[in-house]
Amino acid sequence: MAADWNELPDEEFRKVFRSWVDENCPPHLRYMRKQRPLFDEVAEWYHALAAKGWLAPTWPQEHGGMGLSPAKHMIYVEEWGRLGCPRIPDHGIGLVGPLLIQYGTQEQKAHYLPRILSGEHVWCQGYSEPNAGSDLASLRTQAVLDGDEFVINGQKIWTTLAHCANWIFVLVRTDKEAKPQRGITVLLADLASPGVRVRPITNLRGEADFCEVFFDNVRVPVKNLVGKVNEGWTVAKSVLGHERIFLGAPTRPEYALGRLERLAEARGAFDDPAFVSRYAKLRLDLYDLGSSFERFAKVLRSGGELGADVSMLKIFTTELYQRITEEMLLVAGEEARFADDLDAGNGQVDAMNLFLDSRAPAIFGGSNEIQKNILAKAVLELPG
Amino acid sequence: MPQAMFDDPDGMLAMLRESAAGFAAQHSGTKSLRDKRASAGDLDKQAWKAMAEAGWTGLLLPEGLGGAGLGMREQAVLSEALGRALIAEPVAMAAVFSGALLANVSVSEERTRLCAGIADSSVIAVPAWQNPSKSSHARPVVATATAGGFALTGEKHFVDAARSATDFLVVADCSEGCLLLSVPAASAGVTINERPGIDGAMIASLTFAGCEVPESLVLARAESADALLESPILHARLALAAELAGIASRALEITIGYTKDRVQFGKPIASFQAIQHRLVDMWSDAEFACAAVVNAVETLDAGDVRAAQLAVLAAKARTGDAAFSICRRALHLHGAMGFTDECDIGLYLKRAINLNATLGQSEALRLQFVDLERAA
Ligand SMILES: Cc1cc2nc3c(=O)[nH]c(=O)nc-3n(C[C@H](O)[C@H](O)[C@H](O)COP(=O)(O)OP(=O)(O)OC[C@H]3O[C@@H](n4cnc5c(N)ncnc54)[C@H](O)[C@@H]3O)c2cc1C
Repeated sequence: MAADWNELPDEEFRKVFRSWVDENCPPHLRYMRKQRPLFDEVAEWYHALAAKGWLAPTWPQEHGGMGLSPAKHMIYVEEWGRLGCPRIPDHGIGLVGPLLIQYGTQEQKAHYLPRILSGEHVWCQGYSEPNAGSDLASLRTQAVLDGDEFVINGQKIWTTLAHCANWIFVLVRTDKEAKPQRGITVLLADLASPGVRVRPITNLRGEADFCEVFFDNVRVPVKNLVGKVNEGWTVAKSVLGHERIFLGAPTRPEYALGRLERLAEARGAFDDPAFVSRYAKLRLDLYDLGSSFERFAKVLRSGGELGADVSMLKIFTTELYQRITEEMLLVAGEEARFADDLDAGNGQVDAMNLFLDSRAPAIFGGSNEIQKNILAKAVLELPG
Repeated sequence: MPQAMFDDPDGMLAMLRESAAGFAAQHSGTKSLRDKRASAGDLDKQAWKAMAEAGWTGLLLPEGLGGAGLGMREQAVLSEALGRALIAEPVAMAAVFSGALLANVSVSEERTRLCAGIADSSVIAVPAWQNPSKSSHARPVVATATAGGFALTGEKHFVDAARSATDFLVVADCSEGCLLLSVPAASAGVTINERPGIDGAMIASLTFAGCEVPESLVLARAESADALLESPILHARLALAAELAGIASRALEITIGYTKDRVQFGKPIASFQAIQHRLVDMWSDAEFACAAVVNAVETLDAGDVRAAQLAVLAAKARTGDAAFSICRRALHLHGAMGFTDECDIGLYLKRAINLNATLGQSEALRLQFVDLERAA
């Protein structure tokens, strides 16, 4: 049986984790330009983690995870980012696993969890629809029970990595009469089922990393139901749990600030007082984001649960990411006209790539306006 | 909706706007941008020819040289309209800048040929004047006297439409100061190195390796490059400012339209106050941008050079910031749709980034403004 990682002092765990990752994450996969590499592009790293037993940090050890506490999980995520490891297709690890561990049947756990770890099943998340974005509860893709199968009809959109996934966990409407939140169900669907069509959508950065997924009389066995019929809203909303803190993690701005520093050093911008003044603001915003992040991290470390107020981190970090990349374009000067990467001494800085990428996190994971609505209602208890 | 508002006693400007709108209906700017990106192009020859037929490539050139003999007022109205429709041809550089460069040089056969050609699009003459940045290893172009003229060696950067150009208008250093030379694009010893621009069109640097230019193609001699470039930069910046104002206004309109149509939570999202306030801020920024363009045109017309320079610096800075920031907010208000390549709002953002960074980003221009204003 694997070690109980939670027994190790934090710094010890950090050291152990870091040195193994540094040795085993292939150098050519570090600091990938792509935010969302396809499974095949990072398969060797995925399998290496699986072989070590370190692929699923939060799953209990009985299911092949590391069983990390939220505090240790944060160290895992931090070191991952600091070492420039690529993002792996992680919907299975991060969302489907926890979903099944909490709501799945014994059979579902036994069937799906090992297949996530082996990479046999690559998952994507089918929540959003053309007319159900911020207002997710208005989703209309419907599933009708027919014997021992659900028949799904409708369309999902913005489904990240659907074109490299073979399974989708999908929110469907199973009761049209009930209040929107009441008639929703979570189903697991094989993307190879007849009637499924996936169309990749090219994004602002010129990459196809999200898709439309069409369901035309797609039959899904009843045993693929997660939780109870019409109770999918609670299931879908609860999976994130403590992981909501990561939406507000300083990872992206931290990385971007490092790239800004590199660019600024190469261009002599630190000799320009106007730049230094703007840089100082960004630097301290990042520093202070660390302090606020730590405030929430402490809650987790002491075994508490996060409140709605954690949304403030998501807004701050996504906006800071945007401001840092905007500063990169300013430092680039006239070279901000180019689409490709900028020379920065020995090496290049992908300023434009990061600028364009920074537009997305303010939209996904609950847009920043939606986060503010949550804060206004749940934290400040404002009327209306 | 925001627009640069000029006095228009004879309806001339309204006509110009109408014909630009008609042109846009025939030549989709967004399609042309996408085509350029797909084919690594830098100028839409068909669109350019049609623009010449409309009298736009030679709009500022004197009638005696084949142009329309109009002024910056008309140019601003045209550029604003082109910006709105995202007709992303290099008007500011290959028409306004080149035209202003040629307007100031003395009469020669070559100048006559170039001007007539720019106006009827048989010549695409693009300026090659920008030196490599100080941090780069490349050196600016130097002209060395030869038996029949000059030999050019060195690099010029940020050349628009280099692949499509028939001629380069090269500013080169020489022992007595500075030369403006007309260099046929096909000359031996010229290499074009292209990089993709953010909005899809290629942008080039030129390498000259002993490129021979006969004496007859020397258009001007000056003590310094500034003397040659001051007026072209001024006019091109103003044209860019107008184009940016057009981009800003149109991006706002598109976003108002989108948020009125997009229903979430049972209502158009434009009915949420958080979104209304954002749209109002964007509108106000666009209005300020348009007013800055009008001010620059009127100040330029009034004839005080220093005042005109200040006004143009202000206008380019104001419109660049407005277009860039309005487009960023516009994209966000489109939600995930804004993060797609198929949604035009992203093209507006990319075009705004390109033009904002052309001939100086806003901050640099503001610093120049203050320097100039405080200089005794
Ligand atoms: C890169 C990327 C990856 C994604 N991956 C996935 C995925 O894998 N699976 C999946 O299911 N979804 C995914 N999404 C979709 C994401 O969840 C939605 O984009 C998000 O929920 C917002 O919905 P929308 O895009 O329809 O925008 P809309 O809801 O239409 O919002 C448009 C704008 O209006 C604002 N707005 C909306 N409502 C209000 C309000 N009440 N008050 C004030 N402002 C408001 C929003 O903030 C936004 O700026 C992804 C999105 C992106 C950009």
